Amino acid sequence: MNEPQTKKKVRKKLRVRAVRSRLGKVQIPVALGMTVVWMLLFNAFQPRPESLGLAVLGFLVSLAIMMVFPLPPIVPGFRFWPVQGVYMLLYILGKMFAASIEVSSWVLRPGPPVKSSVIAVRMRTDSDLIMVCVAIATSIIPGSVIVEASQPEHVLYVHVLGARNQEEAAKAKKDVHALEERIARGIGTRENIADLEAVLASERGSV
Amino acid sequence: MSEEFVQILDWIAILCLLAGALLSLIAGIGLLRFPDLLSRMHAASKPQVLGLLLVLVGIGLRILPQEETGVFSAGTLVLVGLFQVVTVPVAGHIVARVGYRTGRIRRDLLGTDELADRLESDRFTKSGAENNVS
Repeated sequence: MNEPQTKKKVRKKLRVRAVRSRLGKVQIPVALGMTVVWMLLFNAFQPRPESLGLAVLGFLVSLAIMMVFPLPPIVPGFRFWPVQGVYMLLYILGKMFAASIEVSSWVLRPGPPVKSSVIAVRMRTDSDLIMVCVAIATSIIPGSVIVEASQPEHVLYVHVLGARNQEEAAKAKKDVHALEERIARGIGTRENIADLEAVLASERGSV
Repeated sequence: MSEEFVQILDWIAILCLLAGALLSLIAGIGLLRFPDLLSRMHAASKPQVLGLLLVLVGIGLRILPQEETGVFSAGTLVLVGLFQVVTVPVAGHIVARVGYRTGRIRRDLLGTDELADRLESDRFTKSGAENNVS
C-alpha cells in the first residue's frame, strides 16, 4: 500500500484520482469481507481439507473483481464500536418488531385507507456511508420508505405510513434522527461523532 | 445436547416459523388492501423482511442440533438474511422514486409532502439550463 502513497505526493490530487493504478483500487477490508462471503457460499468454515484453498481462491477472486470493477474508496472510512454497534443492531431489530406490529394493525384495520406523509430529513453528519446505512435501516423498518436521496446536501426524503399531520411528521423525523445517532455512534469515525455531538449540543442550547 | 433442550429449541423454531408466515400473510393482505403504490410498497417489502428473518431463525434453530454440520449450515442462512436486508431497500427505493416522479401516487392521501416543494424549485432553476441544451 506504500507505493501509491509515495506517488500521491508527487502528482496533484485530482490527477492521482484519475490515473491511480488498478491495484491501488483494491481495498483490503472489502476484499476480506468478500472472501468471507465466498467461504460462506462454499461452506468452507466447516473444517475440511479444501478450506484453506477456498480461502485463498476467494481472496484472489475478490482482488480480481475489485481490479476489473473498481469502486471509489469509502471516503471518511468507518470504525466499528463494539458496544454501541451491538446496541445499534438491537435498536434496529427492536424498531422492526414494534413497527411490524403497527403496520400489521393498519393492514388489518377496516375503514378508509391510511394517510401518509413525505418528509425531508437532513443528516447531521456528512458521511456518505452513514447516510446509506440510515437509508437501509429506514427502508428495513416497516412504515417508512426512502423516496429520494439528495447526496450533496445529505437530505433523505422519507415516505412515512400513517403520519397524518404535521405533528406526526415531526415525530417521524425525530425517529429518523434517533436512528442516525445510533448508527453514527455504532460505525462512525471520531469526526462523525464529534459532528453529531456538536449539532446535538447546539440543539439543546437553542431549546 | 439433551433431549429436552432440543425440544425447547424446536418449539421456539415453530413459533418463529409461524410468526414469519403470519407476517408474510399480512404483507399479502396489505398488498391487496392498500390503495396506492407508496403504501403498497410498505406492505410488500416490510413485514415480509422481518417475516423472512423469523423464518430463517426458525430454520436455524431446527438444523442447529440435528446434524454435526448444523452450525456451518447456519452460515448460509446468515448470508440469505444479509442479502435480503441489503437488496430490499434498493429495489424499494427505485420503485418509490419512479412511482413518485411519474405521478403514480394519490396526493389526497398525503398529509404533508416536503419533496414536492423541492422538486418544484428544482424544475424552476434547471429549466433554463435544459432549454439551452435541447
